[in-house]
Amino acid sequence: MWKKVYDWIEERLGLKALYDNLLDRPEPKGNWWNTLGSASLFLFVIQGLTGIFLTVYYTPSPDHAYDSIQYIMNGVAFGWLIRGIHHWGASLMIIIVFVHMLRVFVTASFKYPRELTWLIGIGLLLLTLGMGFTGYLLPWHQMAYWATTVGTQIAGSVPFLGDFILKALRGGPDLSALTLQRFFAAHIWLLPAALAGLIGVHLYLIIKHGESHYPSRDE
Amino acid sequence: MNDETKKQINQRYDRELQRGERFWPDSIFKDVIVSLAIFIVLVLLATFIGVENSPKADPSDTAYIPRPEWYFLFLFKFLALYGQIPLLGKVEWLATVLVPTIGIGLLTLLPFIDKSPWRYYTRRMLPLTVMGIIVFDMVLLTLVSDIPTVSESGSKLPGILQTVMGLAIPGLALIVLYYLAYRRGEDSPVAPMLWTSGLAAVLMVGFAAATFIVAPPVAKTEETVANTLIEQISAGQDLYSVHCVECHGDDGKVTVIEGVEGLEGKEISPINGRDMLYTLNDAAIAEVINYGRPDAGMNPFGKAYNPEGLTKSEIDYIVTFMRYNWDDRFEKPVMKPLFPSLADGEVPSYDVHIAPIVKRYCISCHRAGKDNNNFLMTSYQEILTTGDQADKNLVKGDMNSYLLQVIQGQAILDEKGEELIGVMPPKGHLPTDVIDVWIRWIMNGMPQTAEEAAALYVPPTPVPTPTP
Ligand code: HEC
Ligand code: HEC
Ligand code: HEM
Repeated sequence: MWKKVYDWIEERLGLKALYDNLLDRPEPKGNWWNTLGSASLFLFVIQGLTGIFLTVYYTPSPDHAYDSIQYIMNGVAFGWLIRGIHHWGASLMIIIVFVHMLRVFVTASFKYPRELTWLIGIGLLLLTLGMGFTGYLLPWHQMAYWATTVGTQIAGSVPFLGDFILKALRGGPDLSALTLQRFFAAHIWLLPAALAGLIGVHLYLIIKHGESHYPSRDE
Repeated sequence: MNDETKKQINQRYDRELQRGERFWPDSIFKDVIVSLAIFIVLVLLATFIGVENSPKADPSDTAYIPRPEWYFLFLFKFLALYGQIPLLGKVEWLATVLVPTIGIGLLTLLPFIDKSPWRYYTRRMLPLTVMGIIVFDMVLLTLVSDIPTVSESGSKLPGILQTVMGLAIPGLALIVLYYLAYRRGEDSPVAPMLWTSGLAAVLMVGFAAATFIVAPPVAKTEETVANTLIEQISAGQDLYSVHCVECHGDDGKVTVIEGVEGLEGKEISPINGRDMLYTLNDAAIAEVINYGRPDAGMNPFGKAYNPEGLTKSEIDYIVTFMRYNWDDRFEKPVMKPLFPSLADGEVPSYDVHIAPIVKRYCISCHRAGKDNNNFLMTSYQEILTTGDQADKNLVKGDMNSYLLQVIQGQAILDEKGEELIGVMPPKGHLPTDVIDVWIRWIMNGMPQTAEEAAALYVPPTPVPTPTP
């Protein structure tokens, strides 16, 4: 009976082929440093899930953002846990992605044939930092407001283009409701979509080239 | 890279695969363990440390010292140190734009800059040591980020030490490393390069330690944030007592202002009734407090108009207090008592009992700039030492201390029979348990801390049970 059901599903989905190609692959001997990439991926997923929960209550307007966060912390069942995980997950993700980059650097895994994997990786690092920068403003508290004021000022110090960049980031000369709306859109749509896309390519490349081995003296 | 090398690399990789492991289950197993560990760490952090709160954003509070997320702190510090360099430091965009762009650019193009097929560590001394120094510098810059570049006494030493640590030594080390690497061509000298980076690292740690010694990190200014509704109501009540009571009275029902210079006898509408609370929503009340009613005599309280005024969060707390106390549509939660009640023979302390009482009942008048016989009550020291009658206000063990008399409805008269001090507080009177706290505190010698008070505790002598 079960065999029949399995065969039926297998015939249509072709899971076996997936298994053979994705999971049952040979790999060079690895060690614990090789888990950092998948740990980054795991954190991305966790941030996505907790983030979705947070948007249920969060309101991106200067009048309500702060209070909606207070409500998540005090009013919503387990809201504090979800927000706590999202908050610490952000910091941890930055650390882990950075250390993952260092490990790839140290083992020279960015060399032929994995140059593109590295390039995409830099995009991932910058996008992750971008997520941190845009997410930090959302609670609309004093620390966030003034850190973003200074952060955008720094971006605005680019010669010639500075003024334009500053206004594009803030949606005007000052931090306002528009800034919050922009950062919110970037934080929940733009950057995650870009991240997800690049992660897809990153993973495809890793499967295609296989994980690099640890170099020995003659290499 | 020519096809021959590529072929070699690929063959080499195939051989490694032969003697390797399987993705499933070998690698996945490790991945899952690490992910699980991360998840547990996150839950623990969220549960036991939680998320630091900060007051609501207040665009008018320009005195606020900005502080970015920790992972941008090193950049912040780098900019501050760079600004110290004479001349060059003035051209801001060199540091804010050029240096980060070059850094990220080099990192991005790394596979196209470092095109040699060599992978083993000793053959890549230059990239490894350079990256090591830079990452180490980033960590140290993050650690010293809370130390100001100019110390409290105005000395520039901390800034100089930090600049040597964060810019000079690593800069010098990088130059030496490049020199060592290129002097020999193909093979970089391993030992000298390791010694160079090791020495640089030790020196950097030394200077970092020196900075910590000459200028300890400034303690972050405590920001009190009321997290729960109860805390908010109580914070609002304290703020209301300080700022609003003189005109609106402690229950908001004053209709004729008394004893306020310039507004004596002014008729106002009470602010505790439905007329006000039903017609104005929270945002509108917050606006009234923010802008005041300058035409009618109420000063603006918002930071934008009054540098010593209230922040957005503080105004919100006052509104919350008004709603939950006076608006009959809101049910007030069970509040924590102002101070813990006292057992027989227990002695109150300034920290635990007197401070909250003073804040609620006396501070509105007894602070700088008010009419109060120069009796200031904002700290323990002030209460004991200020006032025109400082020597008679609080006398240890004396029931006739002026303070005790006036709070019990007994005005103090001078020789001519004229009033020296009126009853306190001038309007209304203190609850009896508050008066009791004052009496016990002064009779037992005004202890400051809870420990000092506990030392004075005399357990009541048990009443002997009559034997039949
Ligand atoms: C210097 C005296 C003074 C102080 C201090 C003061 N107010 Fe007022 N307040 C007034 C006057 C005068 C009015 C105008 C009353 C009127 O027009 O009936 C007023 C009006 C108001 C109103 C509007 C009432 C209405 O019906 O529109 C509110 C709300 C209010 N005050 C709240 C506060 C709060 C909260 C504080 C403390 C942060 C405060 N006030 C401090 C004098 C003062
Ligand atoms: C509404 C304003 C107001 C409040 C509230 C108030 N005081 Fe006073 N206090 C005064 C004024 C005004 C004086 C100056 C003497 C006078 O005019 O009676 C004074 C004087 C005093 C003095 C005499 C100081 C001296 O050295 O001459 C004492 C003691 C005192 N107050 C205690 C208290 C205590 C304790 C409280 C809190 C329970 C309190 N006051 C609350 C307005 C106030
Ligand atoms: C969101 C961020 C990222 C995710 C989710 C991610 C994911 C992964 C995963 C799952 C692997 C395979 C396992 C491993 O080697 O650890 C991997 C490998 C790799 N990653 Fe990333 N990565 C991220 C960021 C980066 C960054 C910032 C870089 C470098 C700039 C980078 C460069 C590479 C390279 C070159 C490999 C191949 C390593 C090898 O074959 O040994 N990645 N990544």
